[in-house]
Amino acid sequence: MAQSLKRSLALWWCVIMFCLGGLLLIEAWASAKRSADQALDGQLEAASLDIAEAIQWPDGSPMLEMPASALQILATRWQERVFYQLIGSQGELITSNTQLPISTRLHQQIRLAPVFANVEFQGSSLRLHGRQVTSAGWETQEPVEVWVAHTTEGREALAQTLVGGTLTRLAMTMLITGLILVFVMRAWLMPIRRLRQVLRGRKLDDYSALRVDVPAELRELTDTLDHLLERQDQHREALLRFIADASHQLRTPLAGLQNSSELALGSTDPERWRQALETIYQASGRTSRLAAQLLNLARLRHQVSQADLQNINLSALVRDSLMEWADRQQARGHDLGAELPEEDIWLQGEAWSLHELIGNLIDNALRYTPENTVITAGISRDAEGVSLWVEDNGPCSETDPQRWIAPFERAGLQGTEGSGLGLAIVASIAERHGAELKLSTRVPQGLRVCVQFPQGGADDQA
Amino acid sequence: MIRRKTLAGQKAGSGSGLSGCVRRALLPLLLAGLGSAAHAETLIIEGALDRDVFEPVLALFQQNNPDITLDYRDRSTLMVDTFARTAKPAPDVVISSAMPWQLALSNEGFSQRVDTEESRQWPAWAKWREELFGFTFEPIVMAYRLDLAAAMQPPSTHQDLLDLLLNHREELQDRVVTYSPLNSGIGDMLSQQDARYTPKMWDLVEAMGQVDAYEAGSSREMLEGLSSGKYWLAYNILGSYAMVWALHHPEVVVQVPNDYSLVMMRTAFVHREAQHPEAAFRFVDFLLSRQGQTVMAGETPLFSVRPDVVGPYTAQRLRDEVGDHLYPIPLNAALLALVDPLRRAAFLKRWQEAMAREE
Repeated sequence: MAQSLKRSLALWWCVIMFCLGGLLLIEAWASAKRSADQALDGQLEAASLDIAEAIQWPDGSPMLEMPASALQILATRWQERVFYQLIGSQGELITSNTQLPISTRLHQQIRLAPVFANVEFQGSSLRLHGRQVTSAGWETQEPVEVWVAHTTEGREALAQTLVGGTLTRLAMTMLITGLILVFVMRAWLMPIRRLRQVLRGRKLDDYSALRVDVPAELRELTDTLDHLLERQDQHREALLRFIADASHQLRTPLAGLQNSSELALGSTDPERWRQALETIYQASGRTSRLAAQLLNLARLRHQVSQADLQNINLSALVRDSLMEWADRQQARGHDLGAELPEEDIWLQGEAWSLHELIGNLIDNALRYTPENTVITAGISRDAEGVSLWVEDNGPCSETDPQRWIAPFERAGLQGTEGSGLGLAIVASIAERHGAELKLSTRVPQGLRVCVQFPQGGADDQA
Repeated sequence: MIRRKTLAGQKAGSGSGLSGCVRRALLPLLLAGLGSAAHAETLIIEGALDRDVFEPVLALFQQNNPDITLDYRDRSTLMVDTFARTAKPAPDVVISSAMPWQLALSNEGFSQRVDTEESRQWPAWAKWREELFGFTFEPIVMAYRLDLAAAMQPPSTHQDLLDLLLNHREELQDRVVTYSPLNSGIGDMLSQQDARYTPKMWDLVEAMGQVDAYEAGSSREMLEGLSSGKYWLAYNILGSYAMVWALHHPEVVVQVPNDYSLVMMRTAFVHREAQHPEAAFRFVDFLLSRQGQTVMAGETPLFSVRPDVVGPYTAQRLRDEVGDHLYPIPLNAALLALVDPLRRAAFLKRWQEAMAREE
């Protein structure tokens, strides 16, 4: 993640330029040498032709007035050391200014075509050129081998100049492409910078869509950001609503407390005091329960981590919860029961929250049903996974009980003692386990709340 | 020989004014600079350049470099060439006026590259491959005795000379001398160069043959012959020697040809197998230096090449006096053609035929 786009782009550019530049240089050197050879071989050729032209046969033996121009051409403007050798048909020397190292193979080749060769001579390298000339004479027409040679300093100098030119051009190209790259990179990164500025300059409570002009490749990112903002906005709305509701819920019992205490204070009758105290006791109990549930809900909003998950015997958990509730006063008038499969059901989960979930469901069932209602908690396993459910046969007027999941919905029974948070907590816990919370009415009457855990329990939940 | 001494002595006297000053100013400086590097060395120079002409240059170099023992060997061009090729141990510096032979030696690899401050700045037309350096600028002239002027209109161009030889055959019989192409490297170069410029050269050679012209091996021989009255007219003589000679020999008149005048350069190179290369580089550097060239311009008739040198004998002054018909023999590969054995043999054959031709 820490890798810089600029740096990696620059690195790639360097690698490409290095490889390409290396190749170009090798090619440039070869072609420069070729060009230099071509240019100066031309001068060798001109010199040999010039000398050949000067050969005459006045009286049966070759005569030659060595043309000064030929030697000057041969020397080139680099003032090479120059050598020549003219050999007759019988191998006899006509004239020369040195003994050139001409191999037999070259002597054979020259009969077919003019030859060029590089030879070593007196510790320096020479470029050698030879041609065979058949000159027309009145008495003889013998072929003459004309050999010319010069040192190669000029070729090297010329090649170096040519390569130097290429090198300069290459360096210029690198510089220009480098600059272009820098500018292009700037231009490319400009939308990102703009995006960053927009994000940085944003107010905390501004969840509107980002209005930034970005290229198509970045559109996906801004769309995702917009989507995230939208979701966060919704989440925040829900949170605000929740806080407002929670405040409202807390205000009612607190107002009751105030009223009762005020009434009691206005009276001198100890019996009234006692009644007031009792009311205050009940109301404060409800309030603290409400506060505890709010705390739970807040706690559930944290992400669950893998470390919090453990293998849980769900069957035992249901059994223990039922036992726990059966002993309480609220359950006196109800018929609590369990429907568990024979073998224990295990799943990956968070022990405290699952315990809370079952507790909440039982509490809800007890709270919102009349006496003598049959309440059954159970676990069933099918192809889709494990289901934890609680059902009752109490009256239910709601056709879409799914909406009760929202906090502070009390199944249309605003007067009852519930906090309205029970199902919301259940839904949060189910969500933490990747489970689905389903509420449905029963026939002829009653409600079924089912928590459908995915296959393998909460194994794949993070 | 007496005259030579006079010449040398006069030169030494006349030149002391300017260069004496220079010497006094430079000597301590140079000595200080060289003090640490000083170690005794013998510098062997093979030179086709008269020692008594060259002496002021050698003397100043000696004075500047007391750690170097000079061994200057004054020889003919032919001997210098032979010694450069064969002497063991090889000489350190080779100086000759036979430019083609020097270039051939350098081309064959007998020279080595000189890289000093002066050599780098030396004009390109007066050096070859940074190895061979032309350090003088000597015009080739005609010289005649006053006797000739009394008898006929003296020549001022090559055409005049030809006319003169044709029209005054009787008077000039046995009284004309020229450089021998056979026995001298300079003579060979000059006559071949003449023949390169114009085919009328052969008419001139034939005309010289008609008057049975002598072929001398050196300029001095020609000058002495002129002064003694043996010759009336000398063709292709080194202007440097002739001009100084004429100063003290009023009977001799020097004529720089008005149509064209060849200019020859003495060339020097450091031998590849020089035993004392450091000293040799110093010597060549000195020849090309302002100091060395000033001595040449002031105390020798060798004519300095450098434009920044002032004196009676400088290339610039010669150009001013003679005009733009000076033809310096270029120091390039074309000179090699002149030493091609076949070409040279053909040339000498033709020369001899032309000289011997009877009408």
